[in-house]
Amino acid sequence: MLARCLPALVLAALVLAVWEVSCAALALSPLILPPPSGVATALFVNRSEIARHAVATLMVAGLGFSLSIGFAWVTSVALYFAPLARRALMPLFVVSQTVPLVALAPLMILWFGFGLLPKVLLVILVTFFPILLSLLSGYRQTPPAFVDLLVSMGASRWTVFWRACLPAARAACLAGLRISATYAFVATIFAEYAGARRGLGIYILMAKNNFRADLVLAAVALSALLTLALLGLIHLVDRASQRGPQERRDA
Amino acid sequence: MLELRGLTITTPARAIVRDLTLTLRADEVTALIGPSGCGKTSVLKWLSGILAPPLQATGTLFLDAAPITCPHPVLAYQPQQDALFPWLTIAQNAALGLEIAGLSRSAARARVAPLFGVFGLAGCEDHYPAQLSGGMRQRAAFLRTIVQDSQFVLLDEPFSALDAVTRLHMQAWLLARLAERPRGLLMVTHDLFEATGLADRILVMSASGAILRDIPVPIPPKHRSQAALATLRDTLKTLLTKDPFP
Repeated sequence: MLARCLPALVLAALVLAVWEVSCAALALSPLILPPPSGVATALFVNRSEIARHAVATLMVAGLGFSLSIGFAWVTSVALYFAPLARRALMPLFVVSQTVPLVALAPLMILWFGFGLLPKVLLVILVTFFPILLSLLSGYRQTPPAFVDLLVSMGASRWTVFWRACLPAARAACLAGLRISATYAFVATIFAEYAGARRGLGIYILMAKNNFRADLVLAAVALSALLTLALLGLIHLVDRASQRGPQERRDA
Repeated sequence: MLELRGLTITTPARAIVRDLTLTLRADEVTALIGPSGCGKTSVLKWLSGILAPPLQATGTLFLDAAPITCPHPVLAYQPQQDALFPWLTIAQNAALGLEIAGLSRSAARARVAPLFGVFGLAGCEDHYPAQLSGGMRQRAAFLRTIVQDSQFVLLDEPFSALDAVTRLHMQAWLLARLAERPRGLLMVTHDLFEATGLADRILVMSASGAILRDIPVPIPPKHRSQAALATLRDTLKTLLTKDPFP
């Protein structure tokens, strides 16, 4: 595990070191680009306030992402059993992905207020489609021989789905989750940026308005850490749901 | 006895099987051979109830003179590949048919457990298919089929994925299992050695999708020397190569 992360850690340390040294060498103003040490100090000094905003962001992203997974799964099952609905709805879902967040986020706030609802809706809107798509393509990857075998045993359509298609879609589903997870916090912060009482998005906006680049970057670093934590959680789910040695391609 | 009457299978363009009629006895191994594309596998798939669109079929299947619809528990189908689910252990794979048939997980497991020794899979119960050799996977697939205890078993080229030596072992092994508990076996194969070595009866399909000949093999399996079967194989070869491009 450590050996696999080592190249990434070394590269990150290198980038930070170059950043730190060039800030000092070029005598850049911390108003333009604070050095990593400045960002870390800002993060430490304002930790309780940033943490309060981060918890709000975590709540929205967590709730939105969980709901999104649930909705995507239910929708995928429904669309699997109803090809007509799939043909009718998929173009709509594709169109929903082309709506720019910049346009939609303020509208959501306008329609649903400053509460939890518009932000959660925005997270769902952004993360739902990749999960749905990966589930549906995962179902399609079920080897036909598996389906034939179950049908010849007298299995119902639901049993075939439950016993063959769902397990066959596991890997594809996790890939979709990883893609969506990276969007979850970005979408949350965007929604908060458009209007919120609390959250990293509104915190970044306030810090920017106060010319505190160090606080902006501190919040950005924290949101990156939160995304990494979510990816780590998905990795754990992957490991826990693995059955058999054939899937451990990266071991 | 299983009797198939008037089976016609059509694609949107043409009929691949025409008015095919055949009978399977409950204690006999029947090999179905024919040139490529003559519809052997489609016949087997229809009997298993898995013939998929765009193929359309009409025909009636009778079990002891009573009409039945496929899939039916009296018929167990084994696909060409072993089709073991990679996410299930060998024991779970072997119990799959019983669980689909409505047995509880533990009851199915209990029914399968005593058979691992006979099937040469003792100690592999909790292994996953990827950890087994080709021959062992094939035996696990047979275990999954046989444990369903159907009177008739449908095999689609059961040994085609195996190397030559493993294939010989598996054929002898299958005959031994059938000697313990006779079943009606319908086996689609391309291999004339396999057909003549295992079958009690050989059905030869023509390229136009009808039964061309029904040839009994009266020699009991243990007395089948290469010399004794040579004439039969020559006959079959002539029949199969007669009209390669209909």
